Amino acid sequence: MTIRYKDRFAEILETCRPAWPDNPNILKALLAVQSARGYVPTNAIPQIAQVLGVTDAQVAGVLSYYSDLRTQPPGRHLIRVCMGESCMANHGARVFRAIQDYIRMTAGDPTQAERFTVEQMSCAGNCAVSPTIMIGEDLHGGVDPSDVPLLLEPLS
Amino acid sequence: MKTIRCYLADDTSSRAAGAERLADTWSERQEIQLIRTSSRGAFFLEPMVERETPNGREAWFNVAPNDLPRVVAGVGGTPVAGIPFLQQQTRFTFANFGITEPLALDEYHTRGGLKGLAAARSLSPEAIVEELRISRLRGRGGAAFPVWKKWQVAQQIRSEQKYVVANADEGDAGTYCDRMIMEGDPFRLIEGMMICARAIGATRGYIYCRYEYPAAARAMRFAIQKAREADLLDCDDDPFDLEVVSGAGSYVCGEETALLESLEGRRGVVLAKPPYPSESGLHGKPTIVSNVLTFATIPNILANGGAWHASLGTEGSRGTMAVQLGGRVKQPGLIEIPFGLTLQDVLDRFGGGMAAGSRFKAVQVGGPLGSLFPESQLDIPICYDAFAEAGAILGHGGIVVYDHETDMVELARHFMAFTADESCGKCTPCRIGSVRGREILERIQRGQGTAEDLFLLSDLGETMKATSLCALGGRAPYPVLTAIEHFPGEFVRRQG
Repeated sequence: MTIRYKDRFAEILETCRPAWPDNPNILKALLAVQSARGYVPTNAIPQIAQVLGVTDAQVAGVLSYYSDLRTQPPGRHLIRVCMGESCMANHGARVFRAIQDYIRMTAGDPTQAERFTVEQMSCAGNCAVSPTIMIGEDLHGGVDPSDVPLLLEPLS
Repeated sequence: MKTIRCYLADDTSSRAAGAERLADTWSERQEIQLIRTSSRGAFFLEPMVERETPNGREAWFNVAPNDLPRVVAGVGGTPVAGIPFLQQQTRFTFANFGITEPLALDEYHTRGGLKGLAAARSLSPEAIVEELRISRLRGRGGAAFPVWKKWQVAQQIRSEQKYVVANADEGDAGTYCDRMIMEGDPFRLIEGMMICARAIGATRGYIYCRYEYPAAARAMRFAIQKAREADLLDCDDDPFDLEVVSGAGSYVCGEETALLESLEGRRGVVLAKPPYPSESGLHGKPTIVSNVLTFATIPNILANGGAWHASLGTEGSRGTMAVQLGGRVKQPGLIEIPFGLTLQDVLDRFGGGMAAGSRFKAVQVGGPLGSLFPESQLDIPICYDAFAEAGAILGHGGIVVYDHETDMVELARHFMAFTADESCGKCTPCRIGSVRGREILERIQRGQGTAEDLFLLSDLGETMKATSLCALGGRAPYPVLTAIEHFPGEFVRRQG
């Protein structure tokens, strides 16, 4: 299993190796790794740097710069709550609290571990149907705090 | 049983408002066939189902699955032409919205698409730039720089490689028109970029699309594929290579030099200008970076002539403005109107009043770097000059209305925290100043503020304005300082 994962990782990285005369594109490589693995493990930095022909520090610098690149595996469901101004005006913060409350309720249950990762995002571009939450790539608009259990319950 | 063809928007916001649920529920029904179009932008009416009648389309608003019999019987519909929110608009760039299927190239063509590109191909590159000069089009991303001047610089430099880059990093909270264009009328963006490529002699283009817009990136990739198959992507018989590139959640990457750094795969840090990207941009080559809306405005200008565009709007702001209304109003949505209407007019005519239970408090124009306006200052005309004179910005056209429940200290703290999170770190006043600003506001929130704190904030704000390279640090103090200016009581009340 481990060996297969390593091969696959090397395979993805190989597609990011810059073809002459192109320059290496660190961000593109990190996004490719993340889209395959869900995150970019920091212990993979040296290997990524080597394939791209750049320094470890350059890779680490790009990895830490972009907020959508993650170095920890996310939960099975990634929930992002929009904190843009239109969502703020429409009480997105109450939705955020309702989500936290829902998750806290199930905190002791081991089957619930790693179920959700909850984050705030700066704007989902859904300002006319706010407040907004994104579950994975699915966007939900006009969310009321009371909708939260209904939205999260079906996600195992 | 006769199947009735109906139309339902397939745009992200419409889906979020319930269009997807509706389409799923009705997918098995024999009596109705749903054609998925772009959205008209009247999001408060979504999900909105339309059907053809001899007198044009009729619409049903906020449709629920059990409304099917009404729609099928044709009972209770409203003529689309009679919807005040839409009727009072002047749609040019958004003329196809709600009408066409986003990825139907033939429909785009039938409705006048590709005319601008055909016109551009019959003109010399110099004549294209001249047409843009006559049009007096200014960049729609926020900086409002005359588009023709950028193009002329890139055109006149001899280089074996030039680039056209669409800035689709629509990061200003409160704005969504670029997303709508990419999801709803993607060929218009491609056409605008092709016209630019022809004018400056570029053979490669990129659409830098923010990570938060997966559906827009998908639609653009499909549209590029279709355009390529239709042999549209060429520049003077050379193939024009167009690619969608994903960002990774950095607000400052909407600034053109940071965007180009990110496109090359590095940290999206702002660079000092000059050199401007039009002289030395991507990989050191002449590059035109323009906002999606700017590119999408260009096909009509070439098709109808620069003078047509210059005939709309006000002295310094020609053409139409895509206002994106959000916040606590009854009727949030996309509004395309010629420049010149006052803020009050826009709120009255389109906003439909405050949401239930809400009283007006303030409106913010231009995203997280835009100034706040209280009720007494709503008579300002929506145009670049009037806003510049007031020390405000139109930005990318986002208007967010706040109600009486909005806590101005919390809002000000939110803006400083946002800047602290998003600062690229290049300029010290922005990197450190925003953190100090946030700390001061948190102190005020805790009731530990002093009279000196407001003075400190204002001093800090002036420093950031004067000493930051880009608009993030330079504009971040405006919403904070205008909040203090118009609602001083809320800040003073909490002093310890």
